[in-house]
Formats: sequence, C-alpha cells, structure tokens
Amino acid sequence: MKALHIAASGMMAQELNVELISNNIANMRTTGFKRQRADFQDLLYQNLRQVGSQASDAGNVLPTGVQIGSGVRTAATPRIMSQGTVESTEKELDIAIRGEGFFRILLPDGRTAYTRDGSFERDATGQIVTANGYALDPAITVPVNATGLTISPQGAVSAVVGTATTATVLGQIQIARFVNKTGLEAIGDNLYLETASSGAAQLANPGDEAYGQLLQNHLEIANVNPVSEISDLIAAQRAYEMNSRVIRAADEMMSATIQFK
Amino acid sequence: MENAQLVGLARQATLRRQLDLIANNIANVNTNGFKAQTLLLEETRQPQASADSFLTPDRPISFVIDDANLYDFQPGQMMQTGNPTDLALDGKGWFVIQTAQGERFTRNGSFAINNEGRLVTRDGDTVLTDAGPLTLAPNEQTPTIAADGTISTNQGVRGKLRVVDFANPGELKKIGETLFEGQNPQPATLPRVVQGQIEKSNVRAVVELTRMIAVGRAYESVAKWMQDANDLRRNAIEKLATVN
Repeated sequence: MKALHIAASGMMAQELNVELISNNIANMRTTGFKRQRADFQDLLYQNLRQVGSQASDAGNVLPTGVQIGSGVRTAATPRIMSQGTVESTEKELDIAIRGEGFFRILLPDGRTAYTRDGSFERDATGQIVTANGYALDPAITVPVNATGLTISPQGAVSAVVGTATTATVLGQIQIARFVNKTGLEAIGDNLYLETASSGAAQLANPGDEAYGQLLQNHLEIANVNPVSEISDLIAAQRAYEMNSRVIRAADEMMSATIQFK
Repeated sequence: MENAQLVGLARQATLRRQLDLIANNIANVNTNGFKAQTLLLEETRQPQASADSFLTPDRPISFVIDDANLYDFQPGQMMQTGNPTDLALDGKGWFVIQTAQGERFTRNGSFAINNEGRLVTRDGDTVLTDAGPLTLAPNEQTPTIAADGTISTNQGVRGKLRVVDFANPGELKKIGETLFEGQNPQPATLPRVVQGQIEKSNVRAVVELTRMIAVGRAYESVAKWMQDANDLRRNAIEKLATVN
C-alpha cells in the first residue's frame, strides 16, 4: 500500500527535523552559531485521472483530476544567518560583527575558513588567533609590551607599545562577504568554508558599504531562540506521531483484507 | 450476488486511494506552502444502458468512483522566520518560478540568493520578477521587499516580484517540490508580499486524523459485509448441494 511508504517518508522527514532542532538547542550558547531549519517538499504526483482530459464524447473537459502524491522529502537545511544577540564580555580580544561579514581564519592545512565567532586570543608569539589557535588572516601580532589594545569599528587594531605616549596601529582586520552566505559549508568549530554556491569571498574593511562594523569587548552569541525551537520540537514530534498513526491505519486496512476468506 | 462483492471492491479501492491522499497530506504537515487535497467521490450507475422493457427489468446498481481531487487553497499559517529571503503571500496569488520545463507556480516562499546573486528556490530555480530574472551585484545588500513586491537594495529599486493568479485554481496540477503547473496565469490583484515570514502547510491535522479513522472504519465495515455476503453464498451452496 502506498500510504505505508508515504507515512514512512513523513516519519523520516520529522526525524531529520528533530535532529536539526536538537543541534540548534545544543548550540544555544555557542558563539557565532547560526541556527538551521528543515525545508520540506512534496514528492512526485501520480495522475490517476489527468486534469483537462476529455470526460465525454460531448467534449466535456475534466475540471479537476485525481492526483496522489508520494510523500515528502527534505529539500534543504538552510542556515538562518540573522544577527545573534551581542553580549558584553569585557575581554579586549572579543570582537562582534555588527552587520554582515565573516572573519577570515587561516587553517593549519593552508585553507581559509570563515567565522562569526570573534573570541580571539593571543598565542605565544603575540599573534591573534582563534580559541583553537588558528591565525586570523591577515595576521596581526601584538607585542608583549603593548597596553590598551583597541579595535576600532573599522577594524584598525592599535595599542600603546612600551613607553610610547601615543598608540600605534598594529594591523587591520578585514572581513569577508559572500553573495550567498547560506551556501557556506559548515565544518564545525564555528568555521565555514567557501563553496561553489556561496560565491567567492569579497574582502573589505569593516564599516565599508554593506559590510558590518566591529564591536570590541563583545561577542555575538547564537541566534537560536529557545522558545521557537521547543515549539518546533513539539510540532515535529506530533507530526511524527501522526505519520505513525497513518502506518497503523494502513496496517489495519491490510489486515482486514488478509483476514478475508 | 457477485454484484455486492463488486460494489464492495469499488468502495475498498476508493478508500485505499483516500488513505494514500490523507497519508500524503499528513506527511507534508510541515512542508512550506503545501496545499492539502481531498478526494471527491461520485456515484456511477451500472448498467448505463438498461433493458427495462422486460418483465424483470435490469436493475441499476450504484458503484463509487473517485472522480476528482479538490485542493484546499486556504492559506497556511504564517510563521516568522527572520530570514530576509523568506517571503509569504498574504491573500491570493502565486510566485512564478522559472524551471527547465517552463514557468511553474508556488506558494512556498522559502527562497535564497544563489552564488550568481539570483533569488532562487531551494532547488535552485529562479524566482521571476516583472522583468524576468533579477541578478543582484556582489556588493549589494540583502534586498528589502515591500508589500507590493518591489525589491530594493542599497543600489535602489531593482524590480518587482511577479505574482499571478488563476481564474480557476482547480485546474492547477501538482508536480511535486511544492510547485504547481497551470495555464493562463493573470497578474494577481493586490497581492501583499510579507518579508521574513513563510507560509506553512495548510494541512489541518485534526481533520486529517478524523478522516483517516473514518476511512479505516469504513474499510473494515466493507470487509465485514463482503465477508457476510461470502458466508451467505457458501451456506447457500452447501445447503443446495446436499442431497438427502
């Protein structure tokens, strides 16, 4: 019976939905995390009576046909790239991006990754790196004797070095934008990679037209809204239960047929 | 006697299709822009040409067939997503999608901007504006879409979404991927485009579940009386075949 396969596709879709929601909830407090949602589509339709076909010799045309679908499939799991809440952390190397853009990170294998997670640290040589120790690109090194590190909204990193009386500019943070940022590939560790569907990264200084500004001493937390996630979770669970009811109904109908003798 | 079995079979066949349809509605309870379907059943009288001038005339028997399926075109619930490329239509109307097979229509406004800067569906098909496909430049900000469908970015007004309607939406045909196929689209009157929201499925779970229970019970009762008719026949044969 077709209903069995249709309901099974529905249960599988809701299972995936629950997986996505649980990943969103698990990353509720992950810096720079962007939530995902599941987008479903109906499957092909079987035409039992074709719309617009002739109904009689008098030339009447069927106004509607009989079409039965084959279930549901997951079309995409788009990432919602909206701005997350910005929290004050009072840590000088915590940077939030207000607006669009990603920090550029150099991975140890030479690839370039992108992130919204602005919780940076200094490594043993004074270079600005991510929490995992990957270098910010372009590299910026803060001398040991630097004090009063300041990052301007436009990305200029400056500090007072040694006994100098004025601040010197140590480097410039650049941020990247993508035509289709939802097309980025997440690789975990809060990092994304450029793909054919995201388009090439376009670098600029923060604050340039269409690029976001930086905010020092702040972090962008996940854009997960726990209330909507929980209600989505309940909806997904109920949808799963309904599909299992369909399977039971189809099973009962089959058993009514089998017991016929 | 066999007529009773045949009428029962006709009913069971339509009930099975009805369950398939309900299953498809329930499977798509979370599908954006999905429109529920119901089956329209009709009585057919057999024989069509009867010989009723005889002393014992042909008596017509009513069978049931599934004549058509009706779409429920009521709008689904609107859900706030916060995603600027999610669009919903408030009121009648359809978005026009350019596919490889031609223009198709959808109420599923879960769109994205692809690497070429085009507004596309989740399958990568282009969403059409009044002036055909719209391509945004790489340095343009995410577009703002006004209630009348006007698309503007930091480069100014870039176009207007094409929204159409049909004189008889019943003639639309589902082709899957939440797309419909239809003839003679006309520009829709006063469609209101809502940005950052999405139209969910219009499947009403309670209605579908009740229908499903009714279908299940009807199927069982048909099976029951087909069994009874069969028992009756078996009894008759056994009794009549007994000599002495």
